[in-house]
Amino acid sequence: MITGLGTVGAYGCGSDSLRRALAAPDLTVLLSDIDRTSGYHRPGGARRALLARDVSLAEWLAPKEARRMSPPSKLAVAAARMALACAGFADRRADREEMSVAISTAFGPSSYSEALLRQILFDGPEATSPFLFTESVANAPAAQIAILCRARGPSMTITQREAGALQAIGQGAADVASGRAPRSLAGAVDEMTPLLHALLDRFGALDTAEMARPFDRRRHGFVAAEGATVLLLETAASAAERSAHVLARVLAWGSAFDPTAPQAGWGTGHERLARSLRRGLERAGVDLRTIDLIVSGASGSRGGDRLEALMLRDVWGKEERPLPPILAPKRVLGEYGGGFLGAAVLAAAGGCMPPPAASFETDPELSIVPDIVPDLPSAAPPATVLVTSVAAGGAASWLLLGAPEAQEAQEAPETWGAP
Amino acid sequence: MVSGVGAVSGLGWGVDALWEGLRSGRTAIRPFHRFDHSRHRTHLAAEAGAAPQGTVSPEQRRLSMADRFAVFAAAEAVHQAGLTAPLDTLEAGVWLGSSTGGMFESEEFFHRFVTDRRHARLGDLASQQVNGPGDAVARHLGVTGPVQTISSACSSGALALGAALDAVRSGTVDVAVAGGSDSLCRLTYAGFNALRSVDEEPCLPFRAGRAGMSFGEGAAVLVLEPLERALARGVTPLAELAGAGSSCDAHHMTAPEPGGAGAAAALQAALRDARLPADAIDFVNAHATGTPLNDAAEWRALVRVFGERAGTLPIVLTKAILGHLLGSAGAIEAVVTVLCLLHRELHSAPSVVRPGDQEDLPANLVLDRTLAVPEAHAAVSTSLAFGGANAALVFSRWEPA
Repeated sequence: MITGLGTVGAYGCGSDSLRRALAAPDLTVLLSDIDRTSGYHRPGGARRALLARDVSLAEWLAPKEARRMSPPSKLAVAAARMALACAGFADRRADREEMSVAISTAFGPSSYSEALLRQILFDGPEATSPFLFTESVANAPAAQIAILCRARGPSMTITQREAGALQAIGQGAADVASGRAPRSLAGAVDEMTPLLHALLDRFGALDTAEMARPFDRRRHGFVAAEGATVLLLETAASAAERSAHVLARVLAWGSAFDPTAPQAGWGTGHERLARSLRRGLERAGVDLRTIDLIVSGASGSRGGDRLEALMLRDVWGKEERPLPPILAPKRVLGEYGGGFLGAAVLAAAGGCMPPPAASFETDPELSIVPDIVPDLPSAAPPATVLVTSVAAGGAASWLLLGAPEAQEAQEAPETWGAP
Repeated sequence: MVSGVGAVSGLGWGVDALWEGLRSGRTAIRPFHRFDHSRHRTHLAAEAGAAPQGTVSPEQRRLSMADRFAVFAAAEAVHQAGLTAPLDTLEAGVWLGSSTGGMFESEEFFHRFVTDRRHARLGDLASQQVNGPGDAVARHLGVTGPVQTISSACSSGALALGAALDAVRSGTVDVAVAGGSDSLCRLTYAGFNALRSVDEEPCLPFRAGRAGMSFGEGAAVLVLEPLERALARGVTPLAELAGAGSSCDAHHMTAPEPGGAGAAAALQAALRDARLPADAIDFVNAHATGTPLNDAAEWRALVRVFGERAGTLPIVLTKAILGHLLGSAGAIEAVVTVLCLLHRELHSAPSVVRPGDQEDLPANLVLDRTLAVPEAHAAVSTSLAFGGANAALVFSRWEPA
């Protein structure tokens, strides 16, 4: 069961902020200029990103704690504490002794790694800061969550690019289901540094007009983002015992690989991915007819969106069924930082549906028009939501979320993000 | 069941080189050449050396060192398991641990990018993320099942094996290719030196005068699958990965919980998972880095779990020979543990001691000469990491019924 959602991004802190961002027609108002003074960027190219630098985390992180953390650690700990508060754990440290932590990050604490490399390469290794080093490791955010939330169960950091976030939720769910941990804090975090932004731009991954157009014929890249989303997972029995409000249920998860993918791009193996997804759903006992909604990780990338769209078409086409409605929240949340994950939970929890794009041109090869969803009354959210993501390099992952049972949902707090 | 193993280490490329080198008892930690370390505080590492001729295909030349190590080790393990790539007709998955992936090549790129951008080729950066080794293995083997890279610092390899074991047990995959890979790089070399965690001489885990770790590099991969599958192909299992457990100290980013409670929790979880009592364990392949605080905390963890037996259980000190392979350490020590069970023999570490603040820990260390263990049936391998991420793996001998 997902009983807590913490999220922070360019949209601010908490699920209400995320809901507001999802209700906007596009991401324009959230964009910030990326610092180009280091000269990493090519002339022209993308200039803006969805940054969380100016979002205050003071409510969730004391200055004394924050001073010992890299930007991703701060974001992740803040999101974890929000998730705990959302789940009804008012005391930030109580009753979590064997909780597990599973966090994904595509790039790790990049700003600290870069600062460290500058010291080593240009100032000399003797100038290396031990503090920068300890916070430059990929598992620093997971470790800081564990330290500050006293989570003494299994701790795992997953680095599988765009497929990692859903894998982390699967790991957390597996920890809980297997009894390894009574609860799990699972999610995703990333920061977007000028160097990373410049390199993504030089690879041609970013939309130079800073428009994310998932599945659109005109798409030619994504908008880079930073932030963190962490979910609190626990067993149904534990949630019931605490009378916790259930946001959504994790029904199944899985992942696959497309060996045709190049090292940093997307391949053409949609049929293989579709076969794996179909097999995973069958193994989980899921009938395609029961899937009401797809929340897609499509970001506006030409190759990635194509692969994901054709994979989904293959899965449903095999049974000659029409695809269910598809949401593509990266249109307003960008790529990286876990906002996508938060949007998926909100969709499963209460039918939080972004409005259609103001302008959309169908790609005839994909034939997918996202964000067109029949009106769903809030009392009847989609029963089953399939969340999918395909990563550069070949990995793909999926997650099946179920709406809470009626009796689980009745104690919904007015504001999920508040402590 | 473990049906195949592969390895690259400071002792060479391949499992034969690893086992022969370990049996010799001579350390692979020596002056190294991967990068200029003249301005670093220390100057030793167990470097893997060049790949055997003909083992790196032209397309693999674009891969990072960590990718190449991983691909070699995976190919060796899969070959021993009697499998043939592509594995796309099987439900096969890859779980690989790495702490820095292609960081060495990223450093080269970053230097050029900052100082002379014209010579910084983006293509050189393509394979240099932490997920590079796992993806490279999956691509090389034609895997179409789950691929997951775990980057929990020095426990990554052991955690990857634990996740793979879960996937095999649950039937998510028929075959799991799992392990770890990391290469020497300036970032970790300078970083651990900045923490004063590196010994200026080859490390002396658990020994008097120990003053820190030594670096190593390489990869190790194990093929895991259900017993019936291996037997159906006519493959004799090498050992059984009987259980895995993990925990977090939740104490400090770099210092272990001094009482060893976190590490003990991981050990106990692994024993529970293996359904074995502590008394069933015949030897321990310890994480044993050689840093005063870590070794002391690990020793306390062993005492918590094994009680008085901790003082008599043989302790294998692989890092004294191979150095610390960081994200790959848990994986190569898993392979070493399998080899020890298979050959009924424990490799030794040099019996060097030196004056210093630290005394020998009161453990039964395997030193100077190999130790025959004809009756050994089960062993545990531990991994303890930055951020307090602990992992333990229990292996047992496979005996035909």
